Amino acid sequence: MGAPLLEIENLRTYFHSRSKRAFIRAVDGVTMVIARGETLSVVGESGSGKSVTALSIMGLLDAGPGVISGKITFRTDGGERNLLHDLEHYVTLGEQDGRIMEVSKDEAGWRKQVERIMAEVRGKEIAMIFQNPKSALNPFVTVGHQITEAIRLHTPTKHPREAKERSLYWLERVKMDSPRLRFDNYPYGLSGGMCQRAMIAMALSSEPALLIADEPTTGLDATIQSTIVGLLAELKSELGIATLLISHDIRVVSRLADDVAVMYGGTVVEYGPAPEILGARFGLKHPYTAALLASRPSAQNVEEKGGLPAIEGEVPDPIDVPRGCRFYARCNRVTEDIRDACARHEPALKELTPGHHVRCWLYGD
Amino acid sequence: MILEVTNLRKHYRQRAGIFPALRSRERFIPAVDGVSFCLEEHETVGLVGESGCGKTTIGRAILRLTPATSGRIVFDGHDITAMSARELRPLRSQMQMIFQDLDAALNPKMRVRAILAEAITTHHRLSDGEVARRIGELLEQVNLKASKLSNFPRELAGGEKRRVGIARALAVGAHFIVADEPTSALDVSIQAQVVNLLRDLQRQLGLSYLFISHDLEVVQLISRRVAVMYLGKIVEMGLADRIARAARHPYTHLLWSALVEGQSKEASHAPLNTRTGAWEPFDFERPVSGCRFAPRCPVYEARGRPAVCTDAATEPQLHDIGGRHYVAGHFPV
Ligand SMILES: Nc1ncnc2c1ncn2[C@@H]1O[C@H](COP(=O)(O)OP(=O)(O)OP(=O)(O)O)[C@@H](O)[C@H]1O
Ligand SMILES: Nc1ncnc2c1ncn2[C@@H]1O[C@H](COP(=O)(O)OP(=O)(O)O)[C@@H](O)[C@H]1O
Ligand code: SF4
Ligand code: SF4
Ligand SMILES: [Mg+2]
Ligand SMILES: [Mg+2]
Repeated sequence: MGAPLLEIENLRTYFHSRSKRAFIRAVDGVTMVIARGETLSVVGESGSGKSVTALSIMGLLDAGPGVISGKITFRTDGGERNLLHDLEHYVTLGEQDGRIMEVSKDEAGWRKQVERIMAEVRGKEIAMIFQNPKSALNPFVTVGHQITEAIRLHTPTKHPREAKERSLYWLERVKMDSPRLRFDNYPYGLSGGMCQRAMIAMALSSEPALLIADEPTTGLDATIQSTIVGLLAELKSELGIATLLISHDIRVVSRLADDVAVMYGGTVVEYGPAPEILGARFGLKHPYTAALLASRPSAQNVEEKGGLPAIEGEVPDPIDVPRGCRFYARCNRVTEDIRDACARHEPALKELTPGHHVRCWLYGD
Repeated sequence: MILEVTNLRKHYRQRAGIFPALRSRERFIPAVDGVSFCLEEHETVGLVGESGCGKTTIGRAILRLTPATSGRIVFDGHDITAMSARELRPLRSQMQMIFQDLDAALNPKMRVRAILAEAITTHHRLSDGEVARRIGELLEQVNLKASKLSNFPRELAGGEKRRVGIARALAVGAHFIVADEPTSALDVSIQAQVVNLLRDLQRQLGLSYLFISHDLEVVQLISRRVAVMYLGKIVEMGLADRIARAARHPYTHLLWSALVEGQSKEASHAPLNTRTGAWEPFDFERPVSGCRFAPRCPVYEARGRPAVCTDAATEPQLHDIGGRHYVAGHFPV
């Protein structure tokens, strides 16, 4: 197997809240690993920091302070790189009782540094499918032209006509209807799902080593979704593309993922092989993972409970992250023995069985 | 009857290139091609179909956000098909759309409070006190914390944006709402909350919904009747229960069987051994005559490609098969 393709260690990404004059701790100490040619899936409720994690890797955050600490190691044939190289020279952190309370960052300097690091990586070695497709496509350039340019920029295919053939090939592979017609379409003339497919075609056309897919199948119906999921699976075996798959759809995740990371309130609360995390048989689960799995819509749930079961309560406010376990306010498995610990101290991510980590006071003593 | 749509068509014009000289190669995309249905008061009709089949276009045309090419739209007894903007104004507040794109309806430069206040005062003149009271009422209805009022849209999570979008539609006093993929950009737990919220609001406020989604399961949960679309046409329509358990059109079967993994699906949905991966996307430049679904239809294959399916003169039309169930096709399953 060798060393993993991408290793994220203790990533923290904060934003200033203009209205509240406080930090939004969107990503607060995330650690995860993506092996070569494998799919790591990130699941978790809305607002848990999944997209911000992805944007941090890509160096595409448009608000400050952004990434403030961590290390992202990316290994290709060309060697090993830290995508956050030298970050510590741009940031000074002030801590109080182990919690970051002050951040000063040379944002302009860091933005330049990130561009230097990411210029040869972004879109080429790491490509991304965004959650909001409309925002990822240039509204003033036809879809076909955008894909053709990406191919000429990022792959050995330089000749315009060959590049055009290649982009039609990808449009067909993502099941775009009337591909030749769509080639000349501006994004506004495409339906929501078509925009999504155009963007997927663009990301795949540069044949990256790592594909970051943020909710790639929302807005797609079952037939096309199943085609795209099939396509991602094919690419994995054909081209060995590793994937960071962010998805709320447990069905998609269980079909594609080798490993799963469950995020809650800006951290990873459980992490390990997909069958152990998603399967019904494994008893060792983080209480949040269990609740998440129980809330997936199914005919059975509806008949028994008269509606879709939602997890009670709300995700923690990232402006006001609780001191203890972040799931404490919603957790129904706190016992008297551990209540005090749950309420006051954040549990660490502990390895329960090889490769399977859980962050919960119930486990691992 | 709150809405009656008859033979609605919307054909988009598509230019081949940006140069005027090439305009001769102008082509048309028949996004919606002869659609008829109606919606009763307090009813939810679900509209399902795959990406690009024309769902959003129908929603936009009904609300007169885009002009129809032909057909008739009667809203609450008024024929609105050709109404002028001025005549339409009083009706606008009664019909609203929840947009597929979470950000579409939210001005990024305005705080939530201003977004709601603007919607409230578009159609009604109210004092500041009344506006504040109405905002409080809306927050309660959509279950949003008052602390979010000072947030900008980018400071909201997806589920919260969706709630603001719903509040905005309610703010103007709408009782007919086109909900375009209200759950598709949200994760599972929030999807459940939003579906439950829409159901509660319907009960409390007596709303009627046209609920657009590609997710047959979600549609099933919220709708009384469901219309299934394929490439601009309704191919099957009936009570939600019938569509779930006794679908007759081959395409409806395909949709059910394509649900990845097919968890908890009764066997009745997959009597056709459909290989969902092996189809060619539709090409408007090489249209098939007759039934548009023929190139992907397993029944057509199984029956040895009967000519009646692809004869332009016998293009299948919706017909009543009893029990308010309509199917378009020569060989219902
Ligand atoms: N402004 C436009 N100009 C040209 N064509 C358009 C325009 N808007 C939509 N279309 C075309 O009309 C057809 C139907 O689009 P529509 O947005 O209604 O699909 P939809 O069913 O809502 O799909 P999705 O589930 O992907 O959102 C598509 O072929 C689309 O490309
Ligand atoms: N540009 C931004 N400015 C301020 N807050 C942001 C920004 N982007 C994301 N956030 C906040 O960070 C948190 C995590 O968001 P996100 O990663 O998008 O969640 P998800 O897990 O749903 O993808 C949310 O509370 C969100 O509101
Ligand atoms: S640490 Fe305590 S509160 Fe947190 S998930 Fe475990 S049992 Fe629940
Ligand atoms: S009319 Fe023929 S091709 Fe069309 S759905 Fe029915 S059997 Fe299939
Ligand atoms: Mg996200
Ligand atoms: Mg749409």
